[in-house]
Amino acid sequence: MDTRTQNVSLEDLQNIVGEQHAREAAAEDAIDGVEPRFVAEPGSVEEVSALLKLANDEGLAVAPRGGGTMSRLGNPPRNLDLVLSTARLNEIVEHVPGDQVVRVQAGMKLRDLQEQLAGSNQMVGIDPPETGAGATIGGVVAANSSGPRRYRYGTIRDLIIGVTVVLADGTVAKSGGKVVKNVAGYDLQKLFTGSLGTLGLIASANFRLHPLPEAARTVAVELADTAAVGQAAQAVMHSQLVPSSVELHWGEDAKLLTVLLEGIPPAVEAQAETASFLLRGFGDVRERSDEEAENLGPLPVPGSFTGGDEVALKISAPPSELTGVLDSTWGACSRRGVTPRATGQAGIGVTYVSLSGGDEEAKVQVVEELREVWTRRGGSVIVRAAPAAFKRRVEVWGPLGSRLELTRRVNEKFDPRGILNPGRFVGGI
Amino acid sequence: MRRHGASHSRLGKVWGDGGLEWEGASSVERGQLIRTMEGILGPEGVISEREQLRSYECDGLMNYRVIPELVVLPETAEHVQEVVKLCHDEGIPFVARGSGTGLSGGALPVESGVLIVLSRLRRILEVDIPNQRVVVEPGVINIWVSQAVADEGYYYAPDPASQIVSSIGGNLAENSGGVHCLKYGFTSNHVMGAEVVLPDGSVVNIGGGKAPDAPGYELLGAFVGSEGTLGIATKITLRVVRKPEAVRTLLAAFKDTEEAGDAVSGIIGSGIVPAAIEMMDSLCIEAVETAVHPGFPQAGAVLIVELDGPHAEVESQFEQTIRTCEEAGASEIRIAEDDAERALFWKGRKAAFAAMGRISNDYYVQDSVVPRTELGAVLKRISEIGNEAGMRVANVFHAGDGNLHPLVLYDNDVPGEAEKAEDVAGRIVLTCLEHGGSLTGEHGIGKDKMKYMPKMLTADDLNVMQLLRCAFDPHHLCNPGKIFPTPRLCGERPGPFRMHPVQKAGLAENF
Amino acid sequence: MDNRNDPPDPRESGNPYDATDATERGTGRSSTPQDAGAAQSVGAGSTEDLPDDTFASRGAVKQTVGIGRSTETGSYVFPAFDDHHPPEKDLIDDCVHCGFCLPTCPTYVLFGEEMDSPRGRIYLMNKGLTEEPMNDQMVRHWDLCLGCMACVTACPSGVQYDKLIEATRGQIERRYERSPQDKAFREMIFQLFPYPNRLRLAAAPLKLYQRFGIGDRLRKAGVMDRLPKRLKAMEALMPMLTEQQEVPEITAPVGEKRRRVGFIKGCVQRVFFSDVNSATVRVLAAEGCEVVAPKGQGCCGALSVHAGREEEFQRFARNLIDEFEDQNLDNIIINAAGCGSTLKEYGYLLRDDAEYAERASAFAAKVRDVTEFIQELGPVAERRPLPVAAAYHDACHLAHSQGVRQQPRQTLKQIPGMEVREIKEAELCCGSAGIYNMVEPEPATELGDRKARNVLNTGARMIVTSNPGCMLQIQASLKRMGESMPMAHPMEVLDASLRGEPVETLLNR
Repeated sequence: MDTRTQNVSLEDLQNIVGEQHAREAAAEDAIDGVEPRFVAEPGSVEEVSALLKLANDEGLAVAPRGGGTMSRLGNPPRNLDLVLSTARLNEIVEHVPGDQVVRVQAGMKLRDLQEQLAGSNQMVGIDPPETGAGATIGGVVAANSSGPRRYRYGTIRDLIIGVTVVLADGTVAKSGGKVVKNVAGYDLQKLFTGSLGTLGLIASANFRLHPLPEAARTVAVELADTAAVGQAAQAVMHSQLVPSSVELHWGEDAKLLTVLLEGIPPAVEAQAETASFLLRGFGDVRERSDEEAENLGPLPVPGSFTGGDEVALKISAPPSELTGVLDSTWGACSRRGVTPRATGQAGIGVTYVSLSGGDEEAKVQVVEELREVWTRRGGSVIVRAAPAAFKRRVEVWGPLGSRLELTRRVNEKFDPRGILNPGRFVGGI
Repeated sequence: MRRHGASHSRLGKVWGDGGLEWEGASSVERGQLIRTMEGILGPEGVISEREQLRSYECDGLMNYRVIPELVVLPETAEHVQEVVKLCHDEGIPFVARGSGTGLSGGALPVESGVLIVLSRLRRILEVDIPNQRVVVEPGVINIWVSQAVADEGYYYAPDPASQIVSSIGGNLAENSGGVHCLKYGFTSNHVMGAEVVLPDGSVVNIGGGKAPDAPGYELLGAFVGSEGTLGIATKITLRVVRKPEAVRTLLAAFKDTEEAGDAVSGIIGSGIVPAAIEMMDSLCIEAVETAVHPGFPQAGAVLIVELDGPHAEVESQFEQTIRTCEEAGASEIRIAEDDAERALFWKGRKAAFAAMGRISNDYYVQDSVVPRTELGAVLKRISEIGNEAGMRVANVFHAGDGNLHPLVLYDNDVPGEAEKAEDVAGRIVLTCLEHGGSLTGEHGIGKDKMKYMPKMLTADDLNVMQLLRCAFDPHHLCNPGKIFPTPRLCGERPGPFRMHPVQKAGLAENF
Repeated sequence: MDNRNDPPDPRESGNPYDATDATERGTGRSSTPQDAGAAQSVGAGSTEDLPDDTFASRGAVKQTVGIGRSTETGSYVFPAFDDHHPPEKDLIDDCVHCGFCLPTCPTYVLFGEEMDSPRGRIYLMNKGLTEEPMNDQMVRHWDLCLGCMACVTACPSGVQYDKLIEATRGQIERRYERSPQDKAFREMIFQLFPYPNRLRLAAAPLKLYQRFGIGDRLRKAGVMDRLPKRLKAMEALMPMLTEQQEVPEITAPVGEKRRRVGFIKGCVQRVFFSDVNSATVRVLAAEGCEVVAPKGQGCCGALSVHAGREEEFQRFARNLIDEFEDQNLDNIIINAAGCGSTLKEYGYLLRDDAEYAERASAFAAKVRDVTEFIQELGPVAERRPLPVAAAYHDACHLAHSQGVRQQPRQTLKQIPGMEVREIKEAELCCGSAGIYNMVEPEPATELGDRKARNVLNTGARMIVTSNPGCMLQIQASLKRMGESMPMAHPMEVLDASLRGEPVETLLNR
């Protein structure tokens, strides 16, 4: 057992959160094979603050956890002593439909939130694939998760308008508010987006909402080769269509580009027709009903990854180079006996690739090759999920270039003792 | 020799209360500084004569004036870097300025500091339509970006009223909005990357630039809207969007702002997200009519609603909007027949502030935000406050997102009016906060709203924000004295240069 | 500390003021500390408030507006303006510092400095009114202003910058001592250009110069480059001379007489562009006007007033008013933009003149730019087709100063087959600006080249514009780029159409 946790007992934690809300950790609480000692579930921001203060004083390494769907994102933790679960902070604080704003606690599951908002015909414009597996608001923000609808609605940083955080030393602070336009002070809610819990624990967040679309139609085109994919995606991007998503499915079982159109029925009809006409030149066009679209085979969800040697990557590249992304991936893989499969937001330049087959060495080389190519072209390759051993061989995040120094400084200011998710983030922070 | 650069502002205040007091440069040092700067920028790039320095003593907000020690005009990103490095090495505070049209005093110089004017960095470096992005230097004017991509069928969405003169760098610093930000978002949603000169003279690239989702912290998101306190952006990658298929604009006249507000609620409530929805009250209409003659109807309130998007959607929603306005009691509805008429509607709205000069000698413009559902109550309260003080308050605002611009009209030549105006303005700000709003929606805190920060954010909130500042600017050189009323030092060992004067004076706490 | 611009202490030497402070130099006399003190106590008051025995009260020194200030070295500086038509405080206060004028100002576009924008210049005027002295830098920034009035168009607060800059220029001319070369050059211009007869005399040797291609030879030999910049600029601007045509004193209308109008011949226009005048008169006649062109008419004084030469302007204006009075005219027509804007302001400019104020206003009320007039009158003559794409260039003094933009375009569009193309950055001056392209050749060249490039990018086959100065400027820039494009005045185009001339007449010029 680590010396760090010698001074802290389960009772200390239970004194803060109550007896039934703190326990010894079990095997499934481990992150990438590193087992914590305790798990605590605070029921209020004050309790979170007290827990963190205690941890900071004693130098315990803390990992916040929501639904645990993205626990495998990031480097394996350097240390892990306490898992802080937000499960009990799971309510809507305030929802004013007329203002199109919602304030919600971090532990609420995104799917529950969307269900509640749907009652007022509203939604948060974020649809990460982990939603079904129980991703929480805090997790989605901390991991900067996104899904197909980012094409239209943007990502978390375009939707989040306020946040309440608890820093490593227990300080509770808020930024932003409940109005969409707000430039009073720094935009900390954006800073915390994607910070993977290394700057503080997100206790609650405020989002701007959008109306729930009335109707939806998906237009799909079957494509013969990667060149057609790139061209089709560009055609949609530069048209005057306003799709909700432009998605790519590329693998042995499907080679498709799908365009999701949502809105009021006459608009959806008209746009579906336009989209069909536009895509006709690239391959066979089909309109799919909603159920069929759902079943097209989602990308592997890192949280549900239970074993095996599949490696999930996220490649970000300039949108116009989609063809190049696919070609380089398939090229790197075929040379090494690795089987790739890709999905992604074709109109944005984000491609999720899963690698299977081949041995660990082969997959390491694939990642390194792709990373070299795409970093040079201004993009990045991130390992989203992989066996822990794999992650110890390949740095999960890739090079940071000129901003590494600044990133370290920011982290040092917010978490001087480095107790939050140490080692998991970029640059080994 | 100490320079007395502070002048009496129009509101009778002398800058320096609560701000930081810097030691001035001795005349020998000043001469040396001028020569070094000229060595970097050439003599054309350095302004040191008092009379010329005076033209830079304020930005769009004339209430605060400070004569800078020196004004420099770099022409390249390398110049900016060298100038900042020099300031850092010598411990000289500096302030960046674009076109100087800001309304919160963000580009107000620091006494004995250097003002770095970026108006000569105004090249559009790259137009990359396949990736829907444009790379520009900070001095490029907002509307030039749209002009550069117009032929390709694209435009740059954030359109503050000052877009014909405000610079992209300035837009970045303030996270400028504009009438179309309800649907399209603000500058922050349209910046993809930036090359930034940090206060120590080093250069970092933040944001992805060419590709989305760069790993690491969302430093770009924090940088946009930081009002020039974290560094100077020297190359900015902007996202441009395809022009919509259809645009329809209407102007509706109502009896008063309450009726108009009901129309707004109705429109938004029916699930429509207008591209823009703006309201002006009768005082504004009067001023604007005198100034630019858009031919607005005489009414208690006027609503301008614009919808854009795919044809079928716009047609259907436009009909719905007209119905909603009629149901709310619109006395007149005008539909723009063509681009020229549409441009005229917007000209009338965008000239609102400057047109105030026609009906009043002076005005104090505010920038408060309230949740939209509170708009009616807040407008009523504002009118009450104005009446109690016997002062006219004109209102123009972004009805869709609750961003109000009350304009308190006064005459500086009448003794006491300026103070009364400020008092009224303050009470309006507090009212908005009480109703769950914010101090500023787009103009920024700058110098002007610093004193209200503690009313909206707790000491802890402000301290945590300043942690970020410490990470970027530990020596407090970059646009000091803005945003945060109580500066916090960062616990850094002072560098090889002079000890921080505030520390010396024992005035600030070490953090 | 650089003390060069601070005046030395008046207590210390017999010649108190440094060469760079011109506040008192305009009168060539020195001032005493007592006067300094008196000025301080009086401020912008009149000489009557001063004790009798002071120098100032004897009226020998015009009282300055504002009270000045002490400098750091302990000496005292007087404010820039005296009380004869200083820039008006009320007009200055109209400026709310919004900055909308900046991107339309040619000098701000070129230099990016605040003081070279209207907002900055107004700021300098404001400081000059209260405390700052008129020194070299201030004058330089004001001199660099082209007077294009694009800022007036852009300003949402309605600041009358035109009145402000004209008042300021007048003050500069009276109170600022220019360098001898500068003075000489300006004198030369003003001894020549407002006098058509002198221009004519200069035209003869000029013709020989051009006929024998002397300019090109000098250029090839590299001699031209060694000339002082201003002379080089003038040489580049010289128009190709054609046979001069005279406009008759009276021209009868074609058909029914609809109006009786006076015609202003201009100076550069009548000597170097006399075809334009002839075409204008023909067009007016064709539209049913009886055209009266008094023989003795001289210069309208526009160049003078734009340069701040007040007395000279007033002389010219009075003469012109005399020539056109008692002629029973419905309107007075001008075809040169630069002149038109001044003519319309005669009432304001001569407001102090008891004898002429009303007459000037009456005169001004009749003035019309020729395209403005034609649209007002309503065209009747038959226009024959001219199938050509022309780029229309807005002369600043027509578009910004007079607000005449639609009428020239309408006039052209009424010609069947004519395509009018818009030039990008239309509101940006071409750099001609009266005598600006001669006294400030460098910025003028940059602006001229920029305009020329924008014109070439329209792909039009010819340029149409209403100002001789613009024509010369754009032509010079095109030539510098190795390009050329036929140019014509709207009246030349309309005249060709009315006479059924083929397009080649306009293109082969």
